[in-house]
Amino acid sequence: MRILVILRRVLDPAGIVAHRRLRRLFINREEYLIQPGDHSALEAALRIKDLGGAEVVVVSGQPEPDDDTVCRGLAMGADGAIYLSGEGFAGADDGVAARLLQAVVDRLGGADLVLVGMTTLDTAQAQLGPRLAGALGWPQIVGAWSVEIVDGRVRAVRRDGDDYVVVETDLPAVVTVPGRALEPRYPDGARLVNVYRGEGGMGEAVLRWDVADLLHPEGLVPLLENRGRDFPPERELGVRVEGTTEEVAQAVAEALRARLRGA
Amino acid sequence: MDFTFSREAKALRRMVRTFVEKEVAPIAAEIDREHRVPMEVMRKLGEIGLLGVCFPQEYGGMGAGEEGYCILMEELGRACTSTATNVGAHIGIGAMAIHLDGTDEQKRKYLTPLARGEQFAAFGLTESNAGSDAANISTRAVRDGDNWVVNGGKVYITNGGYADVVTLMAVTDPALGARGGVTAFIVQSDWTGFEVAREEDKMGIRGTSTAELVFDDLRVPHENVLGKVGEGFVTFMKSLDMGRLTLGAACLGGAQAALDWSVEWAKTREQFGTQLAQKQSIQWMIADIATELEALRSLVYRVAWMVDTGQPFTELAAMCKLYGSEVASRAVDLAVQIHGGLGYSRDYPIERAFRDARIAEIFEGTNEIQRIVIASRIFREHGVRISP
Repeated sequence: MRILVILRRVLDPAGIVAHRRLRRLFINREEYLIQPGDHSALEAALRIKDLGGAEVVVVSGQPEPDDDTVCRGLAMGADGAIYLSGEGFAGADDGVAARLLQAVVDRLGGADLVLVGMTTLDTAQAQLGPRLAGALGWPQIVGAWSVEIVDGRVRAVRRDGDDYVVVETDLPAVVTVPGRALEPRYPDGARLVNVYRGEGGMGEAVLRWDVADLLHPEGLVPLLENRGRDFPPERELGVRVEGTTEEVAQAVAEALRARLRGA
Repeated sequence: MDFTFSREAKALRRMVRTFVEKEVAPIAAEIDREHRVPMEVMRKLGEIGLLGVCFPQEYGGMGAGEEGYCILMEELGRACTSTATNVGAHIGIGAMAIHLDGTDEQKRKYLTPLARGEQFAAFGLTESNAGSDAANISTRAVRDGDNWVVNGGKVYITNGGYADVVTLMAVTDPALGARGGVTAFIVQSDWTGFEVAREEDKMGIRGTSTAELVFDDLRVPHENVLGKVGEGFVTFMKSLDMGRLTLGAACLGGAQAALDWSVEWAKTREQFGTQLAQKQSIQWMIADIATELEALRSLVYRVAWMVDTGQPFTELAAMCKLYGSEVASRAVDLAVQIHGGLGYSRDYPIERAFRDARIAEIFEGTNEIQRIVIASRIFREHGVRISP
């Protein structure tokens, strides 16, 4: 059983301040998190490994050389890692990422299960899982709060309105996991040290592939073209209302009515 | 010179900070209020390897060196001085003595479970008549065939109430005194003759155990002699050097927390129509704390680097402990002032930090002893020997 887990990184929002008047983002602390959904997906994979055994391989990459994300995956317990890099990566969208990951699966000689976060924290896109399933021609389960392997099939629990439902599909499959589904485990201390030092076999656990070797240049062209950035306008200050509780409630209700009429 | 932390060190700090935010900070007030050692946190620290942070991997450790250990202590010190103290007594002095002078067999038997948090350690030096004057201990060990029979007692032993293993110093030859007449032993608390007599009720670090231990015909196998017979004082002083450095690191964390709280409050609180941050009196306090903090950070991590590269560091460790404890006390004192009445209230962490900070000027050698250690090293280089 080979499980591929896609790990993407995102700037820690705690280190960013949005200055609406200057229409700028200030990055006070450039720290990256693993996308919470991907982190949760890795925990799901490691639980499958704990229960029935599996080879967990994390895949990550970005244009600038920084393999920290795959190192974090290995420190948490992944058996291997694929780190994608290269200039072709710049501007890659989920369509490009899906094609790249399809090429990764092919080059690996297949996989049984791909786990990836359902959405991203920064752009709130939920496309990578479905697009990858489409590219591979595999079934998919979107939004799995738990994942297990039962009799050679993947079984997951999904939310359905206020209820939870159990769904199953054949392997190989793509399953997406929400950010709050599973609490990621802490890395193992000694393993973490070995990963970052490249000792204890951990240096060999990372395969480094150039995206140019995986896809033709036209496959790396994103569907959408970026034409610039905009910034939300500065928020207007509200109106301060004073008086008794009844007077305040009355004034707020009237202000809201006036705003609705205005709209 | 390169003052940047390695990727490995940054990853370790991230791991520790995540752990501290999730497991340590949320219960820091509760363990202080309930006077309870957070054993669940200690066990979890062991499970993920952090209690073996500076010990070799072959003995169940992480192999992250003193630098890694200082990172652990700094991050713990930011959130909970009690937990930092429990961990410091366990790793920094209790288990450290075995790491420094234990045989391979002793390390396999004792250091490995200590590094994994399956057992906990304490360091038995202080006695009722021998605190700062550590060489004046009276706990006696007498050879009896393959065993030593220990009688006496220890006081103010951090982790003493729950430790499974105590590294203990006892007099083996009263005629020779500290140099040659004192031996270190590894003792198990489940042996007959080992008794926890009482727990101290303390002003601060209330989430720790500080116990009085009594030994009544405690039989210790000769194989549990730590280092050589008669050289226990050297083993213990080497362990204390390590403990003093990392106590400085914990103080660094405590001072950082005081600065963080103060900056946040100065941003939020308004008086006379402007933020506290706009008042020069507050700015000066913040600047003073921040400057001392940076000086301490440079000292602590430079000394950690010296330890990891095998350089002598005794007086520098004393400086870490001396300066660290005083910086932390000053930082917390200013934080109380900046917070005003809120800083004095038990509803906020500053009051706890104020009580917790004081002990660092006292334990692991009072600050007066640290000054003697530093001065004696300086004078020794100039051919002058000073005695305390």
